[in-house]
Amino acid sequence: MDAFMSFLTVFTQPELLLLVGLGTFAGVYVGAIPGLSVTMAVSILISFTFSWDVYPAISLMIGIYMGGVYGGSRTAILLNIPGAPSAIATAMDGYPMAKRGEAGEAIGTTTVMSFFGGFIGIIVLALAAPLVSDFALRFQPRDYMLLAVLGILLVGSLSTGSLVKGIFAGAFGIALGAVGMDPLTFTPRFTFDLQILRPGISFIAVMIGMFGVSEALLQLHHVNAPAIRQQINRIVPSWGTVRKHLPLSLQTSTIGVIIGALPGTGGDIAALMAYDHAKRVTKNPEREFGDGAIEGLVAPETANNAAVGGAFIPMMTLGIPGDAVTAIMIGALFIHGLNPGPMLMIDRPDMFWFITGALVMANVFMLIFGLTGIKLFTKIVEMPRAVLIPLIMLLSIVGAYAVNNSITDVYWMLGFGVFGYFMRLYGFPLGPVILGVILSRLLDDNWRRAIISEREDLSRFFHGIFTSPLSLVLFLAVVFIFVSQTPIGGWLKRAIFGRAKP
Amino acid sequence: MQTPEDHDAHEGTSDATPGGLPGERRPGEAVFAAILAVASIVLLWNAYGIAGFSALSSPGAIPMATTAVMAVTAVIVLVKTLRLPRTADETVSRDILPPVVIVMALMLVAYGILLRPLGFIPTSALFLVAAIKILSNRSWGFTLAVSLGSLVLIWLIFRIVFTVLMPAGIVPEAEFVQMLRDIVQGGSE
Repeated sequence: MDAFMSFLTVFTQPELLLLVGLGTFAGVYVGAIPGLSVTMAVSILISFTFSWDVYPAISLMIGIYMGGVYGGSRTAILLNIPGAPSAIATAMDGYPMAKRGEAGEAIGTTTVMSFFGGFIGIIVLALAAPLVSDFALRFQPRDYMLLAVLGILLVGSLSTGSLVKGIFAGAFGIALGAVGMDPLTFTPRFTFDLQILRPGISFIAVMIGMFGVSEALLQLHHVNAPAIRQQINRIVPSWGTVRKHLPLSLQTSTIGVIIGALPGTGGDIAALMAYDHAKRVTKNPEREFGDGAIEGLVAPETANNAAVGGAFIPMMTLGIPGDAVTAIMIGALFIHGLNPGPMLMIDRPDMFWFITGALVMANVFMLIFGLTGIKLFTKIVEMPRAVLIPLIMLLSIVGAYAVNNSITDVYWMLGFGVFGYFMRLYGFPLGPVILGVILSRLLDDNWRRAIISEREDLSRFFHGIFTSPLSLVLFLAVVFIFVSQTPIGGWLKRAIFGRAKP
Repeated sequence: MQTPEDHDAHEGTSDATPGGLPGERRPGEAVFAAILAVASIVLLWNAYGIAGFSALSSPGAIPMATTAVMAVTAVIVLVKTLRLPRTADETVSRDILPPVVIVMALMLVAYGILLRPLGFIPTSALFLVAAIKILSNRSWGFTLAVSLGSLVLIWLIFRIVFTVLMPAGIVPEAEFVQMLRDIVQGGSE
């Protein structure tokens, strides 16, 4: 009964309700504007809301989080620039749809599916938090490592281009993430004895450069082409569309919750894994993946919003952040004198139920703001390129500068913008680079933890993998993805399935 | 599916469909692949220098593994690229580095140089006016209205709503914000 009352807190206090709504509205636009990230907005909000009570502060942050994870899809669909990393997969099919003039349908489906995924995530958070945390507890360092490799290989396999180039891009990203002082031994890595490289390269600068500036530079090739006029007629998708993709969205929501609940991995990996899953299970898409398949929108968008609920599971039960945003929220709870961890669930169950209630409300607001106000938003797309490109460049610079107030980050961003421009021209995928940068630290830490616990013995390491069901599954998944993308994989597929299929 | 006429097909606008021409080598592609290969080998050498083969758990282990992967894949890409026939209908100045791209890239660098000494507002105003004028080739009235209008909007959102601090430079920005706050607070009371 107490739990239910705490759950209703947000609905009974108009002030909190308003803050969740405001946060969600702002979140949609923060997520949509390239260079403005949810992580950044939430971390700025910590200093804003320092003097507030804990409930209003958390209300606002949850709104921004939920809205921002969704908002990234808007720019991904309309401009082919993922406004947030969790929308990388959305751009692959959303933008081709917008180019065909189906932006309205794409946005509508995305919104409804994000809402659906968000709800699944919250339900799982509320019901299964203890169970999932038990499962996550069993993860060994080697499992995290395998998961990181899996994530990077998946992006390579998402691409229709060369897997070799995808692997290069992923490895390049991991190397980029390793630049600077090694956090465990304080050994300089890839610094070339330059002072400027010691703190490492800001991941946000890399991301904005690769996705913002390089896109803007490419768009210059046809600056005089007429802007895409978006006929956004019907935004609310038909019940038929929703029902048709219900089984897929249930599967991808499940992927989203699980990935979200894994420490460190958030909506971005969930979206990419769900996209890959959809690619595998969709037998006869109306359109090819990468050419505007609606399944390619449903999968990542349900998964990344389901991952929001998932990310709170380890945060609330273990005090381990599910992703970057929940990491910042842990900081916020600390500031307000709360200690997230197993004891919080026992001492302050009201906090858990309040957060669940706020998430439900944020999800509803997201649906409302997602299905309205699109006319305003699409005006951005109808702007002539000659205006849009300089504005994207300006926003990219501000975004890169604002994270650390550092002009060096601006130069990094420009450098990676130019490099990304050439990578795009010559067929290198950019997604693996970003994923590599994000996962570099996780991969490195867990590899070292795993191998130290096996006393530096590789045979013991592999023995560990083959005797743990979980590690074995992850290991086989890595091998499978790798093999399935090589000529051997094609040959095997034909050998096994050759007769089954005409 | 991909044809030379379909311009977006080989521009890499999406990760699902990276750029490049299938079965053909674009201008400069071999040079780019060669640079990547050489850079990867240099990085591998550098990674070896971190801790050598001292231990599997050394800080250099993952860097060495990744740069080794980079070197191997970059060499494969280079060999594959060199084997492809050169495309006949593309030139560097039209399809790879048109003058407008070079000009805009240089303007971005200039922005970075001027940002600190001149401040956010004057630098951005110069950048937007120049860029929009060059790209759109419309009248000065249009250029000034659009660029200054959007600059005011961006400034309001970032400075006031998100309190992102950009370098003030020669503009007495703090005084202006304080004045604005005074007006707003005076009005609300």
